[in-house]
Formats: sequence, structure tokens, C-alpha cells
Amino acid sequence: MAETDSFLHLARPLGPMAVGSAPTTAPLNVVIHPQALFSILDHSLRRNADQERVIGTLLGTRSEDGTEVEIRTTFAVGHTETTDQVEVDMEYQKQMLALHLKANPKEVLVGWYATSSELNTFSALIQNFYSGQGDGTFPHPAVHLTVSTEPGKDVETRAYISAPVGVTAERAADSAAFIPVPYEIRYGETEKSGLESIAAARDVESRAANIFTDIEALERAVEEVLGMIDRVSKYVESVIDEEAPASTALGQFLLNALALAPKVEPADIERDFNNHIQDVLVVSYLANTIRTQMELSNRLATAQLTLGGESGNAESGQRGGQRGGKGGRGGQQRTQDRSGEEARA
Amino acid sequence: MAEKEVPLTAVKVDALVVMKIIKHSSQSFPTTATGSIVGMDVDGTLEITNSFPFPVVEMPADSHFDNAAPNPAAAAPRAKANVAYQAEMIRMLREVNVDANNVGWYTSANMGNFVNMNVIENQFFYQKEMNERTVALVHDVSRSAQGSLSLRAFRLSSKFMTAFKENKFTSEELQKSSLRHQDIFVELPVEIHNSHLITTFIHQLQCPSQSTPTDLPPSLAALEKSSFVKDSVLAPNFDNLSLSIDPFLEKNCDLLLDSIETHHTETNNFQYYQRSLAREQAKITAWQAKRKAENASRAALKQPLLPEDEYQRLFKLPQEPSRLETMLNTRQVEQYSRQIDSFVSATTGKMFAVKGNLLPGETAK
Repeated sequence: MAETDSFLHLARPLGPMAVGSAPTTAPLNVVIHPQALFSILDHSLRRNADQERVIGTLLGTRSEDGTEVEIRTTFAVGHTETTDQVEVDMEYQKQMLALHLKANPKEVLVGWYATSSELNTFSALIQNFYSGQGDGTFPHPAVHLTVSTEPGKDVETRAYISAPVGVTAERAADSAAFIPVPYEIRYGETEKSGLESIAAARDVESRAANIFTDIEALERAVEEVLGMIDRVSKYVESVIDEEAPASTALGQFLLNALALAPKVEPADIERDFNNHIQDVLVVSYLANTIRTQMELSNRLATAQLTLGGESGNAESGQRGGQRGGKGGRGGQQRTQDRSGEEARA
Repeated sequence: MAEKEVPLTAVKVDALVVMKIIKHSSQSFPTTATGSIVGMDVDGTLEITNSFPFPVVEMPADSHFDNAAPNPAAAAPRAKANVAYQAEMIRMLREVNVDANNVGWYTSANMGNFVNMNVIENQFFYQKEMNERTVALVHDVSRSAQGSLSLRAFRLSSKFMTAFKENKFTSEELQKSSLRHQDIFVELPVEIHNSHLITTFIHQLQCPSQSTPTDLPPSLAALEKSSFVKDSVLAPNFDNLSLSIDPFLEKNCDLLLDSIETHHTETNNFQYYQRSLAREQAKITAWQAKRKAENASRAALKQPLLPEDEYQRLFKLPQEPSRLETMLNTRQVEQYSRQIDSFVSATTGKMFAVKGNLLPGETAK
């Protein structure tokens, strides 16, 4: 992201612990799913005009040993902030949490987010609420995610957990030591194609893009690969011309990549190619034949009146109906034959 | 909601919604996932800005692969409990300034198998009960996993709505309305729309900020570990270039065979109806002839005539089976064959490319 911090985890801060259980000091890693970030950004766009930042709840899963927290879903929580007071709509948060858990029973409360990088007394107050007992994430630490959304600047994401500080109970309530923790953005295979389509709109002024058809997507992929090959060959050429510094590691890497090309007999390729192309074309042909047959059978079944004369009385409709039925069956038998072929293919 | 009726012409989906739907669908794959979408209707373009999943009604664990078993998730959008859930959720979302108008629902599909009664009934329910201007978004999980995102928006045509409302799916009615399987759905073009913040964010994701030219890697191991080798998030998905075609074809053939079977059953039903109708008709004719003969003899004997239209009470004509299922099936097959066509066009291209690559000279003129 804007800056990626490097982390050295000596020990993570000790949170409030249940009596008797050994405090865990294992480092904590936060994984953020893209849709969670997207919905934080969306919420930030929808804040009230006079609001500096907005907050919301993070939902997700926690690995069994508690060292990894996955943030999957978020929802917005209304709050008002003045110079000396902060008010979070707790009732709303509770109801929304209940609604979310109904639909996603596997997800649990893991923390909260705010859309500004600033950490202040109010952050500590809210953090203490989210990590508290009862409704909070206790005994696990609550994760606080800040996503800065200042216009004109990079979107900066940071993750924190906290440790209690303060000598008296009153002081402890509105203070917390925020400790940054590493995070990563992770997306699954299926999300990849979604992200790709979303990314297609990034350089368009209207910020909108249509969804690709199969063949367009293929074209883009091929173009991208060609571009990459171009880049590499340009680099290699400039190395040969002694314009760019050579690197054995890069050379080795490229050689490894080239070695991946399979060595096969031309005859084998020819055979495999023919087999596969035939398979593909046969299935396409069959699919279209089946479609035509079914459509034909339907047409015959419903359009008999135009065939049997427009007399409209029950008898002729009846006869026509039978003819239609027969037509349907004929089509059916043919398609059945086709399916037999298909099974063989 | 503006009352000026501009017909819906396009659907604009926010990036957030795309991601949410993908997440929900792939989480519950292979079971169907459904949820509600909210947004705004701006001059015929439906802007979808948020979504939330429907809670899944408890389901016995054994009904995983059985499509025939009623799937509670597929029926969820029109379940009573979910209407309440949806209303509640929308009320909550309104408090945080989300465009809280219900504009439809989404469902996940597997290889385009979404043309079924459930979808029809859900969408009918939405267009009738909730709001006329609603859409069904269909996200095809398996096709998206192959490389390119498949997200489509559908509405029921007004013609189909009227027919479905009155359940007019006998052959006679279909002749009159000339409703064909192509007329069931109206597909709307889908466009993905990003907010400014998301555009910024995506640009950032794509190029990790880099101020100094990178040093050449000292060794192969270092190169393989460096961040450049990890595929960038937003490059075209190279899964597209994969040549594994057999699983796709196999699955499609299976689906086609299923459709053929359905078609067969439906035709049989219809034929059964035809036969029983013919039988009843024959009985009626016999009865009428008999009554006529009786009346003739009664007339000869100067007795009062018996009524001749009594047969309507005595015989009951069988009910004609609905043609709806057949229509849907045809639509489904059309969907499959389109899908195969588009797959084939891409695949043949890839295969010729591979051949040309491995056998240079053969294909070069």
C-alpha cells in the first residue's frame, strides 16, 4: 500500500486475560479480504457531510490458535463525535451484528475500523468497548483497522491491536496502547476474475466497464502475454548490446522458464490436436442440434392451429394437438439418438 | 422513485457488490446462494450499490448434491422470514446513508443452470409484490473460476408476467399470446462501476510505489522470492489461457443430457394428456350418440326429451399440463448451447495457437 511497514514482533501486548488462562504472546497476523476494504471505502463515501471519519464493525474468522484473523465482512455503525464527546450507536451495532450473524453464522466479531489514520482518545474508548467483555471480542484482542480516505492521497491501511494502560480504572477506560500488527490483502481464485473486471475500469474516466465475454478476456490475456514477452526480449537484447547490466540470476530464471516448453513428437501433437478439436466441435454441434430439435418440438406442439387450418373448434384443435404431440416425440427420439452419440463421444 | 416510467435499460453494479456477491457465492458453492441487492433507479439505469446475503434456512446436511430436493436457499428470496429480514436490513442500512431501495436479488449459478422455476418464481415475486423495477443478478461461479467474470442481469418480460400471473400455459393460450421461450427473460447489460476511492485503491494495489530503480537480484532464489514474481493482482487472469477443456465439456454434456431427460418427461406428460383427452372425447361422443338415439326414440314415443348437454356434468376433461416447464427447459438448453458456443470459439483459437507454437512451419501458410 502506500508504505508497507516492516515488522519485528518481539511479543504481542498482553490483553486483559481471564484469570487462570495463560496469556498468549504469539504474534498476530491480519488478513483482509478485498470486499471488506471495498465496503469500508464505500462507507467512507457515504458519510455525512460534517463527519471527519466514520467507524464500523469488522467481522470475520479467527484461526484456532488465535494467530491469524481474517476480516471478511464489515458493516457501518453510526457515531457522532464532538471535541469532547463521542457517541457510538451501540443499539444499532448490536442489532446489525445479530442480523449479520443470521446470514453468516460462521463469522464472529473481530474488531472495528475507522476511516482516518489518526488515533486519539476516542479511538481508545471505542477500542476498549470492542475488546471488552460481554459484547466485545474478549478474550481475543480486538483488531482496529484504519483506512485513510483523504482525497488526493494514497489510501493507507493499518492494523492495530491494543493493550490496556492507565493507573486507575477511569484512566484505563479511555486509554489504550495501540500496537501495529502486520496485515495482508488476500483474495481467492474466484475473486480474481471479479477484481480483474473491476480493475478494467480503473483507467476509464467514467469509472465504468462492461463485463468481458470469453473471447475478449482471452484477447486481453494474450495481449498481456505478448507485452511481457516483448519486454523480456527487449531486456535481453539490450543485455546483448551491453546497454543494460547483465544478471546471472535473471538469465537463469529466463532459461528455466524457457525450459518449461514441452518437447513432444509432432505426430503426437497432431493426433492430440485433432482429437481435441473434434471433441470440441462435436459437442458444439450437438448442443446446437439439441437446441434446434427442442425448439422445433415446442413449436410443433404449440403452433398446430396454423398447420391444421384456423377453424378453431375443439375437434380440429384436438387433432392438431395430437399431431403436435407426435412432432414433439419425433424430435425427442432424434435428440435421444444424439445423446447416445454424445455419450460415445 | 420517479413515477415517469422509463423502461430499465441497463444495470450498473458497484465494485463492492461484485465482490460481495462473489464472496457469498463461492463460499456456499455448490449450493445456491441468494441475497438481496439495494440501490437506486436513475433514469432507466439501475444502480446497484450494496447487497447482503439472505440467511440460509436450516438444511439437512445430506441434501448436498441432490438438485431435485427443494433447495431452501434458492427459495429464500420469497420466503416470508426473509421478507422481514430484508425489510429490517434495509431499515438499518438507511441509517448509514446507503441507497436503501430494494432493487432485486441475486443468485449464484453453476454453468448457467439458472433457468428454473425457482428463479422465475423469485423474480415474479419481486416484480409483482415488491417493486416492478427489480432485477435478478446471476453470478456464475464455475464460469467465473475459469477466467472471466460472469455476472448477468435478468428481468421477466411483461408478456411473461401477465401469462404467469394467470398461469396461462396451455397450448391454446400460448398460441394466442405467441409467447416463446425467448420471451421469458429480458437481459440487461451489466456495467461495473467504481467509486473514486476504489479507483485510487486499485491503482495503488497495482503498482506498489517504487521510487528507486530496483537492483538486479543477486541470485535465483532471491529473484523467486521477490515481490515481482508473485502475480500482480489485476493483470488479466491467465487462467483464460489454460487448455483444460475436458471438464467443461463433460459438465456441459451432463447438463444437456439432464435437459433432454426433462424434455422427454414433459413430452410424455403431454402425450399422456393427449391420450386421456382423446379417450374422454370418445366417451363423450358415444354418450352423445346414445342420448340422441334415446331422444329420437323418445320423440317417436311422444315422451319429453332428455337434455343433451348433460355430458358436461358427467365427464370431466383432463387438465392440460402446463407448457411452462418445457418452455423453461428450452430456454435453458439455449443458454447451454450459447455457453458452449462461446467456449468453443475461445478454445479453438487457443488450440490452433498451441499447435502453431509447437509445430512451427505447419500452420504458417
